[in-house]
Order: sequence, then structure tokens, then C-alpha cells
Amino acid sequence: MRSFQPGDKLSRTEKMLSTDLDQETVLMSIEAGAYYGMAGTARTIWEKLQTPMTFAALVDELVKQYAITPEACAAELQGFLGEMEREGLLHVE
Amino acid sequence: MSSGDYYTFGLHIRSEILCPELMIHAQPGAEPEVTIRLLSQVPEVTESLEKKYYEVEPRTFRMSVGGVAHYLVEDGNRISVEPAEGATLEKIRLFLLGSAMGALLYQRGLFPLHGSAIETPWGAMIFVGPQGVGKSTLGSQFHRKGYKVLSDDVCAVTTAASVGASVMEVLPALAHFRLCTDAFERLGVPESGIFHVDKFVVPLGEGYCSHPVPLKAIHVLGNQESGDPIFEVLRGFDRVKYLLENLYRPEYLERQSTQSDLMRMAGAIAQQSAVIKVTRRRDTALIPATVDFLESAWEETFGPPRASAPKKENG
Repeated sequence: MRSFQPGDKLSRTEKMLSTDLDQETVLMSIEAGAYYGMAGTARTIWEKLQTPMTFAALVDELVKQYAITPEACAAELQGFLGEMEREGLLHVE
Repeated sequence: MSSGDYYTFGLHIRSEILCPELMIHAQPGAEPEVTIRLLSQVPEVTESLEKKYYEVEPRTFRMSVGGVAHYLVEDGNRISVEPAEGATLEKIRLFLLGSAMGALLYQRGLFPLHGSAIETPWGAMIFVGPQGVGKSTLGSQFHRKGYKVLSDDVCAVTTAASVGASVMEVLPALAHFRLCTDAFERLGVPESGIFHVDKFVVPLGEGYCSHPVPLKAIHVLGNQESGDPIFEVLRGFDRVKYLLENLYRPEYLERQSTQSDLMRMAGAIAQQSAVIKVTRRRDTALIPATVDFLESAWEETFGPPRASAPKKENG
């Protein structure tokens, strides 16, 4: 599995349709026809990535918003971002 | 050329092709929102007989049905029909009121679901599901029980985005039902119905609803081999998936901007109305029981019906 580095530039894939429903953002992949629901922190991360940013910048943003240390946040993000990338939701440069 | 003024999907339509399936418009003098023209020129036959061919461009939809007609739908307000030599009006209307109208609804920014809809004291109830699951048959049984029918086959839902309104409504569509033969026999509808491709067309008489009705719930019908019927109010993002899966001919949409509009509409519809999975045995003898089951489930879920409940057959 990939390990994200602080300088990795993250952006959302453009090939998604999205809508809001209750407290969730619902995404549909145009190519695969798959659906994803983003709630809570996942939704926050998805919204932040509307503007492409580095892994380090994303950690900074989240630390400001949630009671979490940068180290713990970076560790948590590894798993979630990896999953997003595997599903084709995330573009990494 | 003579023409008829009709009211369908909330639209005033002036058509040079007479359509007995549609409601007559109450004020034919007014300027229509949609015109249907019958052109005399015979289209070139580009495809083999009975093979369907279509092309989608922004604001334009073209379709050729071999041996029937060529259809051109533009800007959500004009349909031109060039009939093939020897084509019957009945067949020409079948594709006009189905595919061509479906494309027009997309052009107008409506959310067309493949299913039937009825008016109930709780609001409009829509039934969607795969081909042959029994959408029309169920709607028809509600009709027999005194409920008014809003639509069969294609249900157009308005959203804030399409009409600038805050309430979502189901627009009244056709004044007839298309039923499979087994259901036709079971429901004992008199011979007034006519055999129409693979389905019987049954005029609804006074039993159709002529005004838009606020949307209450969308039911996704499914079958099971045995057991009691199941009524499951869905939560979560699956609701959006079910709505998009049951769009009428989504292949008529190829532009991404329209797709993203539809995605947003699906979210808004799921937010404001209930999406319910209904699973029951597909047995025509059980249709009346399914209707009773749904009435009880609605009362349990949405509270007692308003005072103006429809009259029931057996009191």
C-alpha cells in the first residue's frame, strides 16, 4: 500500500457526480457507475480537496478543525486516502 | 391541418397527430408549450426494419424507428414526426408518447422515472422497478379501488431546479394503462381495452388525476418466491442509486452537465420524499392483498389519511 508523503499533491477526481442527502455527500462515479456516501470527517476531507492541496496542508487544515495531533491525523489519513485512491476518487501527484 | 390540444406532464401540447390516450386541454385557445408537427416527407430508411436508432445532442434528440417514423425533439418544446410509408398511427404514437416524450422531459429539466403513479390521501405514490415487476398492474388495482391514476410507464417529477417551486410534484400524464395479458385477464377489464404491441391499453375513463400532486414516496418493487410482503423505508445513499437506476431511458442523456443536474435532483427528491423497498410475491391473485398491505403500511408510516380518502369498493 502507498504511503503518502507530506509533499504529495492531492486532488479530487473530476469524473464524479455528487449530491447532498441528509448529512451525507453522495458520489457517483460516471465511469464505474459505483456509489459512495461520505459522512462526517470523510465529507469534510472531500470538501477540502475541492481545492488541490498537499498532504501536509490537508493535515494542517484538519488539525485546526478537530481535536487531534498532527501525527495521529496523518496516520488516520493514510488509510482513508489510500482507500479513496483505490476507488478512483483521488488523484495524487 | 387539423390538430388537437392536450394536457400531459403538466404541459399544454398542440399536436397534429391526434392522441386519444391524452387528456383534452381545457383551454385550447391558449398558446401551447409544446407543438407536435406531422411532416409529410418520408424519412430515409437508414436502419433495418424495427431497429431503433437515436442520437442525442444538446437540446436536440433524433430517433428513427424503421417502418414507423423519424422523430426530432428540440429545445423541450417541439417534436417533428416524419412517418414511414404504411406506418399505423397507433405505432407512431407509441414511440411519440414514449421515447420522444421521454427525451422532451429531459430537455425540460424534469426527472422522468420509469413507473406508474397514483394519487392517495398522503400524496402521490410512485411505483418503479424492473421490466415486468408489476408496476402498471399494481397501479391498475389501486385504480379499481377508487384511487386516481397520475401516470403509467413514465412519471415526471418536478424539482425546484426544473420549475422554480419548493414542492416536488408528480405531473399527470396519460389517461390510459398498458397491462400485460395475464393481469388484464385477472383484473377483468371489459373489452374496451385494445391489444397494443405486447400490452393491452385500458382507457381510464374518469379514473385519472388531472392536476399535479405533491410527491410522497417512491416504491421500488421487487419479487420474492415466498413469505409475507416487506415494506422497508430506505436510509442512506442507496436512495439516490435507486432513483437514478429507475430513470426512464437514461441513455437519452449523454451530456455530463445534464447528468450532474439529475444527480442533484435525485438527492433533492430522496431528501424530500420517502424511498421505500417493497418486496412481495409476483402472483396476480395476490394483487388486491398487496394493495391492502400498502394502505396499512402507509398509515403506519405516514399517519392516518386525510378525511378525503377515496371511496373504497367494499365500504
